[in-house]
Amino acid sequence: MDFEDVVGYALRIGVIISAIFLVTGLLLIFVKSNPAYITNEFLYSNSSTVNAYEIPVRLTSLNFMYFLYFGLIVLIATPIMRVLIGIFQFVRERNWIYVIITAIVFFNLMVAIFILPKFMALILS
Amino acid sequence: MIFLIFVELLILLIASSFSGIIGSLTGLGGATFLVPIYTLYLGIPFPYAAGASLISTIATSSGAGSAYIKDKITNVKIGMGLEIATTLGSIVGSLTVVFIFTHHLEYIVYLIFGGVLLSQVYVQLTKSKYELPKPAKPDWTTKFFQLKGEYYDAVLGQKVEYHGIRWWLGETIMFFAGFISGLLGIGSGALKVLAMDWAMNLPMKVSTTTSNFMIGVTAATGSAIYWAHGYIQPFLAAGTAIGVLIGAYIGTKILVRITSKSIRYIFTAILVFLGIQMILRGLGYGF
Repeated sequence: MDFEDVVGYALRIGVIISAIFLVTGLLLIFVKSNPAYITNEFLYSNSSTVNAYEIPVRLTSLNFMYFLYFGLIVLIATPIMRVLIGIFQFVRERNWIYVIITAIVFFNLMVAIFILPKFMALILS
Repeated sequence: MIFLIFVELLILLIASSFSGIIGSLTGLGGATFLVPIYTLYLGIPFPYAAGASLISTIATSSGAGSAYIKDKITNVKIGMGLEIATTLGSIVGSLTVVFIFTHHLEYIVYLIFGGVLLSQVYVQLTKSKYELPKPAKPDWTTKFFQLKGEYYDAVLGQKVEYHGIRWWLGETIMFFAGFISGLLGIGSGALKVLAMDWAMNLPMKVSTTTSNFMIGVTAATGSAIYWAHGYIQPFLAAGTAIGVLIGAYIGTKILVRITSKSIRYIFTAILVFLGIQMILRGLGYGF
């Protein structure tokens, strides 16, 4: 199995896992319906109200919202994984220009995910 | 309450799979149609519509990407190199839209979105005259960034060898593609194809598959910033991602059978219609 196969499988598995969680989350609204928590405010709450690090742990509560959040995180993580695999791929090919290029792309992603939100929070507060 | 949620989910799925179908038939991607339909007809606020739509482009990009890689047409090196510019552009675009939304200047994004839709009309009507570009003399970037590749073209029945030129011009256009993607929550695939097909002189098939590969990474960058600012509404984003995936799948099945020109005119008419409506909304007229 060469790298291109790994990449193909990584993308497909990412989308499938994500879709499973998203569909399960949507079904949970109707199956495990506890009308008490399905209020308008809860259903239409947005991503600023949740701590991303808590999401995987909260899955056990079978609250549909965490399934939706988790599915979305897996979806966003899929192309990022793809870039990460790309770095290893170019290291193995000893193609150093592209190791650097791919590392820059990965760095940009990390800045957008981890650094900018904190920076923006400081500015906007 | 539960019944109302069910109806709402159904409407979301229908609207997003419809967008996914025409997005895949026109090659513009579902998001181009999704944001106007959501904001103009379903009354969804622009930030949430853009957030859901940006997420859905990751789904279609990764979903289609896993299929394309098998054909080995996607040029990973060229795509990765250009992603330096699209990710930077997406960061700047997303931060710009955060500024726009926090200052309640939504009319700006409506006007830009309308402009982008109308500019696609030209692309739609002049599309695919030549499958392969006229050969151009390699420049220093061709060698330095290894802008070479080959693939087997099933339609032409031959192996195609190609090389790219003007890497810097490709990067420049890609920065704007990333900017528009972060600003409007779309994949901006048409601009990415322009950068590779026109600026870098790459074959159409390489441009479109590589553009698709790049959309996921670009959108992931923007999504992270959208997420932090609360533009992702999970219920809306989940329904949209599933709907667009279904729509894109149906779209590729239909695409094999439909090659009629009249269909292209119908889609172009939809583009013009939505584009004008977005501009009118931006100018403060009804809708």
